[in-house]
Amino acid sequence: MNQAIRDKAKELLASGAVSCVIGYDVGSDGINARPFFAYTEEEADGLAFDQTCTHNLVKYLIDRAGKATAIVVKPCDARALTVLINEKQVKREEVFIIGAVCHGIIESTWGQKGSDLQGRCQTCTQHTPLVYDLLVGEPMAEPTPKAPLDHRAATLANMSVAERAAFWAEQFQRCLRCNACRQVCPGCYCAECFVDQLDPEWVGIRIDLPEKWLWNTIRAFHLAGRCVGCDECQRVCPVNIPLGLLNHKLEEEVATLFDFRPGVKADVPAPLETFKKDEKLGIGE
Amino acid sequence: MARIGVFVCHCGSNIAGTVNIAQVMAAAQTMPLVTFVADNKYSCSEIGQTAIREAILKQKLERVVIAACSPQMHEATFRKTVAQAGLNPYLLEIANIREHCSWVHSNDKAAATKKAIELVKMAVAKVARHEALFTKEIGLTKKALVIGGGISGIQAALDMANAGYPVILVEREPTIGGRMAQLDKTFPTLDCSSCILTPKMVEVAQHPNITLLTYAEVKSVRGFVGNFEVEILQRARKVDASKCTSCGICWQKCPEKIPAEFNLGLGPRAAIYTPFPQAVPNIPSIDLAHCRYIKYQEFVARGEEGKKPPQCRICERLCPPQAIDWEQSDQVLVEKVGAIVVATGYQTFDHTRYGEFGAGRYPDVITGIQLERLLSASGPTEGEVVRPSDGTHPKTVVFVSCVGSRDERMGRAYCSNVCCMYMAKQAILLKEHDPEVQSYIFYIDIRAGGKGYEEFIRRAQEEARAIYLRGRISHIYQDGKKLIVRGEDSLLGRPVEIAADLVVLATGIEPSAGAKELAQSLNISYDAHGFMVEAHPKLRPVESRTEGIFLAGTAIAPNDIPGCVAQGSAAAVKALAVLSRPSLVSDPMVAIVDPLRCTGCFACQRACAFNAIDSQVTRDGKTIAVVNESLCKGCGLCVSACRGVAMNLKGFSQQQLLAEVNALWR
Ligand SMILES: Cc1cc2nc3c(=O)[nH]c(=O)nc-3n(C[C@H](O)[C@H](O)[C@H](O)COP(=O)(O)OP(=O)(O)OC[C@H]3O[C@@H](n4cnc5c(N)ncnc54)[C@H](O)[C@@H]3O)c2cc1C
Ligand code: SF4
Ligand code: SF4
Ligand code: SF4
Repeated sequence: MNQAIRDKAKELLASGAVSCVIGYDVGSDGINARPFFAYTEEEADGLAFDQTCTHNLVKYLIDRAGKATAIVVKPCDARALTVLINEKQVKREEVFIIGAVCHGIIESTWGQKGSDLQGRCQTCTQHTPLVYDLLVGEPMAEPTPKAPLDHRAATLANMSVAERAAFWAEQFQRCLRCNACRQVCPGCYCAECFVDQLDPEWVGIRIDLPEKWLWNTIRAFHLAGRCVGCDECQRVCPVNIPLGLLNHKLEEEVATLFDFRPGVKADVPAPLETFKKDEKLGIGE
Repeated sequence: MARIGVFVCHCGSNIAGTVNIAQVMAAAQTMPLVTFVADNKYSCSEIGQTAIREAILKQKLERVVIAACSPQMHEATFRKTVAQAGLNPYLLEIANIREHCSWVHSNDKAAATKKAIELVKMAVAKVARHEALFTKEIGLTKKALVIGGGISGIQAALDMANAGYPVILVEREPTIGGRMAQLDKTFPTLDCSSCILTPKMVEVAQHPNITLLTYAEVKSVRGFVGNFEVEILQRARKVDASKCTSCGICWQKCPEKIPAEFNLGLGPRAAIYTPFPQAVPNIPSIDLAHCRYIKYQEFVARGEEGKKPPQCRICERLCPPQAIDWEQSDQVLVEKVGAIVVATGYQTFDHTRYGEFGAGRYPDVITGIQLERLLSASGPTEGEVVRPSDGTHPKTVVFVSCVGSRDERMGRAYCSNVCCMYMAKQAILLKEHDPEVQSYIFYIDIRAGGKGYEEFIRRAQEEARAIYLRGRISHIYQDGKKLIVRGEDSLLGRPVEIAADLVVLATGIEPSAGAKELAQSLNISYDAHGFMVEAHPKLRPVESRTEGIFLAGTAIAPNDIPGCVAQGSAAAVKALAVLSRPSLVSDPMVAIVDPLRCTGCFACQRACAFNAIDSQVTRDGKTIAVVNESLCKGCGLCVSACRGVAMNLKGFSQQQLLAEVNALWR
């Protein structure tokens, strides 16, 4: 697999088809992967893919607009890429997609090789990316049986509204408003995020629960029907707010209301940006 | 800092009867930036408007809040008022303390007053963030489109053409004339329908200002008042109109005969046909579903085994000027027009839904419109009224009213308006045709409100000796040659049974097939039945809610010919009022993109129902959204779709709306 990625990367760089290959190499702890940019054939030898490649790299493509780029994607990353292509942030013809067959990403900590699959990967049924120019790895039979709901999601679903509100108050209370979740999210590419806007001032600059709450919920709404569940926000949150729970909940709502999963099909706009006369949402009825 | 004036209106007792005006005024005094507060008995009156103008000048007001009725009612009026005092007309905000407050809270004065104060507070917060907006002049196409060539559409087209404006009349049938062409004589004067209609049809055909497109349909409409772009599908007749001399050899010799729609199946027509002798234009069309040669071609194209059907092509061989053109194909024409009149008319209710009337099983149970064809001298029997079953002359005729009208079971609560009158007419005509005919008319009430109508009913009763029986029919069945009609005479409270030779069902009026789809493509509203909805049922009866689109005739509601003609003319005048303007004024309350915030995701474009969003490339090479102001309707869908808040709506900006919300809880 690694060799296939390296060979292709070298070929693309040598021919000038792309000027950069975005992928992974082994991080400085010698175990966990980290994002890696190969600009030369020599650098391409560092490229690698394994079950620690947790990062979703597609957001880097936005800054490479106008420059042909190759990128290594997992199935979930590929869906995020399709979202960006649909939203005209990335041009399909500028990207060479190296799709990696994915067996799930494992929880890992610095300097240690983990063994358990990440929560999102336990419920994921996809092993092969939906879109690619080159597929690397041995294709697996799909889909594997879907694991039951993430245990935390199940607990939340069984709570009363008041209990849920208390749960989230406790979570959001920890928010530092550092915006790491936004910075890493492929869906968050606004020129000026609403939370930074002063005219109008949507969210006050105070660092207190109402502002934290507003920030996190509006961001979740902006991702409804767009979030592919890569859980990067949750991974980078320094205070471990389980943002994935919020996003997955909205993803399920959108799926039931509109029969839509983001990033599955090219050129199908997200439901919250289309208005159809015959749409019946069961809201207010 | 802006100086804001607040004017609180009493609206007589409409507002003052519920809302404590003095308290609202006192509260307004304390609101930020408010420098002047006054009340008015009727703000919209000349005295009220003068007071507002004077206050603006004397108090040097820079923004104005008028707390009064709905902006739908008087916003336009008050914009003019403030403009006359030198303010930009958009530096005004209306607080609706009537429809939104006094009228709905008349039982709780304290709460109503509190709410009125909050509404004023919001309006003050909003108006403080208003910006001066400016209208633009836009050009227009001085040409009209009329959809539907019945009497309503014909009238509208002629009136506009005679006023000197070019008109395109689109009719989907091969001829204009509509339902009126099928009628024999018309109530209440009994003049012959074709005698009064045909000259108008010919005038349409010959009018230098009218482009007549028959056998054509409107496919799509884009644009806005003054500047619509219409796609029209012109279906192929397979006959070259420039060569055809209307000699009629083709339709006489064509061997394929099918029931004629125009005669509602009471007689045959050929596969190449004109619906009736006076058709305009009098060019035949080949009915592709039935023509033998077309069937032959389809058979060959399918490449099936077996015996080939005959090629026929008799029309082609016999046509003296060789006008048959098998190569002719459907065409899409694109036209620009400034105003549109919708006159798509009606069809009659499908009576086979009534099981108790035989559900279409009995040949001698016919509909009113079929009887018109039997009465007509140019009809399938040349005006001889005979029973479809055996060709004998009926002597006892029973009319059944309200078939598919005033019947909740059929989902038709409304009255079809013309049936009472045409039943009376047909009873009179039957008597004229054959003095031995006895008509029985079963009715619920007799609706005869028009000029000379009540007298006409009397004539049916007294001269034609029609017997009116009040009551519904419960059952019709065939007994030998007779039809037994069972019902109840509800005045005498006893059952009646009549052995009839012919039963005539007065089937009600419903919108033409496809009316809803057309309304959708025009972006105009329609009701649950598919009738087009007027902008105001009383005050704007021939306008749709979409500017530049007007309505006429039975497309709006059941109506008789005088009503349809009046509406046709009225719609023409309304359309002319658009076309005759030198230019139109654009509404400045449209969406606007902040180029620094726009990421070019085009969520807005996908959300816009009016195709009002284009793309543009900025100097630094970014592709971003830009609003086409003339197409934008200011609906705000794009604003809600734009996550980055790059999209804003002038006059309802996010800043203004948030200021209102903030004012509420501050
Ligand atoms: C049995 C009967 C007897 C009547 N007798 C009388 C009478 O004696 N006196 C009287 O005053 N009234 C009478 N009426 C009522 C009269 O028929 C109507 O008032 C009148 O014909 C309505 O005219 P219109 O132009 O509105 O509709 P229509 O005559 O229906 O014309 C509409 C036209 O639009 C066309 N059209 C429809 N959809 C489209 C489309 N999408 N695109 C293009 N073209 C389209 C249709 O083909 C049709 O030609 C009678 C009605 C009935 C049923
Ligand atoms: S080809 Fe034959 S069936 Fe067809 S229209 Fe001509 S005569 Fe009639
Ligand atoms: S939705 Fe907003 S950011 Fe996206 S293209 Fe439209 S204006 Fe620009
Ligand atoms: S406000 Fe926006 S969505 Fe509405 S018509 Fe204008 S551009 Fe289109």
